[in-house]
Amino acid sequence: MSLVSGPGRGGITDDRLPHELRLFVDKHVCYIQSLDTRKDELEYWLTEHLRLSGLYWGLTALHLLGRPDGLPRNEVLDFVMSCMHDNGGFGAAPGHDAHMLYTISAVQILATLDAFGELEERVGGGRQKIGQYIASLQDTTTGTFAGDEWGETDTRFLYGALNALSLLGLLDLVNINQAVEHIQECANFDGGYGTSPGAESHAGQIFTCVAALSIAGRLDLVDRDKLGGWLSERQLKNGGLNGRPEKKEDVCYSWWVASSLAMIGRLHWIDAEKLTKFILNCQDPELGGFADRPGNMVDVFHTVFGIAGLSLVKYAGLVEVDPVYCMPLAVTKRALGKLK
Amino acid sequence: MASHGVRRVTANQVRTEQARQKELQQITEYKDLVDLVNTKCSYKIAEIQYTIEVLALTTKLLTENPEYYTIWNHRRRILQQLFTPPSASDSSIPPSADKSVLDFVSDDLRFTFSLLKQFPKCYWIWNHRRWALKAGESLLQTSIARQLWLAEFELVGKMLRADSRNFHAWSYRRFVVAQLERIPASSDMTGSSTDADKSMVEAEFAYTTKMIKTNLSNFSAWHNRSKLIPRLLDQRQADEIARRKMFDNELSQIDVAINTDPWDQSIWYYHQFLMSTLSPTNPRDSAIMLELNNHDRLRYYEQEIGGIRDILEDETDCKWIYESLLQYAPFYLEIEGGTKMFTTLDMREWLSQLRRLDPLRKGRWDDLERSLSL
Ligand SMILES: [Zn+2]
Repeated sequence: MSLVSGPGRGGITDDRLPHELRLFVDKHVCYIQSLDTRKDELEYWLTEHLRLSGLYWGLTALHLLGRPDGLPRNEVLDFVMSCMHDNGGFGAAPGHDAHMLYTISAVQILATLDAFGELEERVGGGRQKIGQYIASLQDTTTGTFAGDEWGETDTRFLYGALNALSLLGLLDLVNINQAVEHIQECANFDGGYGTSPGAESHAGQIFTCVAALSIAGRLDLVDRDKLGGWLSERQLKNGGLNGRPEKKEDVCYSWWVASSLAMIGRLHWIDAEKLTKFILNCQDPELGGFADRPGNMVDVFHTVFGIAGLSLVKYAGLVEVDPVYCMPLAVTKRALGKLK
Repeated sequence: MASHGVRRVTANQVRTEQARQKELQQITEYKDLVDLVNTKCSYKIAEIQYTIEVLALTTKLLTENPEYYTIWNHRRRILQQLFTPPSASDSSIPPSADKSVLDFVSDDLRFTFSLLKQFPKCYWIWNHRRWALKAGESLLQTSIARQLWLAEFELVGKMLRADSRNFHAWSYRRFVVAQLERIPASSDMTGSSTDADKSMVEAEFAYTTKMIKTNLSNFSAWHNRSKLIPRLLDQRQADEIARRKMFDNELSQIDVAINTDPWDQSIWYYHQFLMSTLSPTNPRDSAIMLELNNHDRLRYYEQEIGGIRDILEDETDCKWIYESLLQYAPFYLEIEGGTKMFTTLDMREWLSQLRRLDPLRKGRWDDLERSLSL
């Protein structure tokens, strides 16, 4: 199997690069394509509650690798629509309850496939329905968002709501100012943000809060130097990034930390070359996919965040990623531009 | 689909046919259980079977897969049904085998506790605990509800002893404390208690002291402390002298820690927190002292910059020292009264040390050089 990318794409010069700097594009494509054929593994069934997000992770990884047709478009669309509930929310798979997390994944997939038109064809008023579902989860006393009817709130859901609503062009369904005020309450002295007011700064939550502020057009509220300093300290000697002080490095933080740095214009505050090496080291060079750390078991979650991290630091040949959405920049430009 | 810390199996370690058959059998059993629970709980069919038997099936399934959030939802719907005693007019619902709401809630607390020991970072388990306690509280006597929250408080202490940085456990602790502060102890049920009587801020502050004494690197504990001190002072109705005393105590405590181990990031972050409260733009809700003038500020900057510089006599290779000096220097220079305790040359030297010790963040030091006009 050739190590260069598909026809019409230049830049990936794998076979000329030293082994430790190679990105095994075809292996990763095969790995992602194989995910839905593993029905004879118990793990496949034990992770059904993540299926729709898994599809978003896999599809996004393929797009960033320059293989947008790596998964059959119609089948993907059919599956997404089979997860939709009457209330406008999406579950992780058919028969699973609606939840904010999967509704966001559904909207991200629909945007990536440029399929909002087909959504309307299949479900009349579908776009509005999804928007209404998300809007119904805003807590009108605090401005934050719940994950579902059971009421757990978290800045992850707040970000997800703004992400999906902006792609749908329906941000005006919610109280943005109140959401922004809530994020402000989650801010800490170190410039970072936590899951809720009072909670410790955590790179994952920082990503959600900074990206939400970015969508709301309120990045002016971020103390860029302070937060940038804290985030840059997440890089360890081996080049990997951790999520909090004194914690171990992990490929998924390549995304949470580096994208936050990119949003506040401080990505050059970490060593991109060392980060690249660390991420590449987490690939399975034989079967494809990325793990949290070198030598560990791969999964599609770390695969997309590894590849997105490489795209952020401009690894040659990869499609440019949007740090706010973790989607190809061309896709978000199209989705957001269309709606203006 | 998102695994952490699991070692990779290499390609040549493929399953034997026997192992494959065994796994297929496990899949069949698992899927049968999933189908059974979902059929009994599906709200598309007219006769949903929310019974103790189906509750037991969800227990079985969630034990195998606690991440299956829809099953937790089913479980809550079943419990809501079982909490309501069947009315005489509706004989279609079987009685709940004489189990009380308290029995159900206690069972779920035990069940989720056993799961948390295996899966301490699973969001859905923590959520279900919160729900069970809240739902129980609305149906139980206040004194009993308070007992449950107190037991919860014990539990979260245990969880933090096992992993003192568990993010979920710290969040949960703050949540449980808020519930206990909301529900007064039975002795002051008369309503005569003030907010200060109910508050646990003093005890929680003492808890962070204990945690830090065990392990200075516990940033989670330092963080909680930074959130508790402003509340504590307000609640004590502390005057400016008491506030200053608190600040000085914290500062001297952290200075000792820095001198003991200048390599510990957590300690430096707490030092930064204390210093950040000196800023005129520091928000009121994180204030320690309320009446600061520039003279006070200058004195603190001088004291701390001087103290940190002293560490350089024994330790020249610790980047945190130089980073902190350069962080505090601009604040000092902003209000500096004429007697400069360091020169631009000193700052250039600190920066070149930073570049030497911390090349990973070269871009940051470049920007710092520009912003300080060095
Ligand atoms: Zn990870």
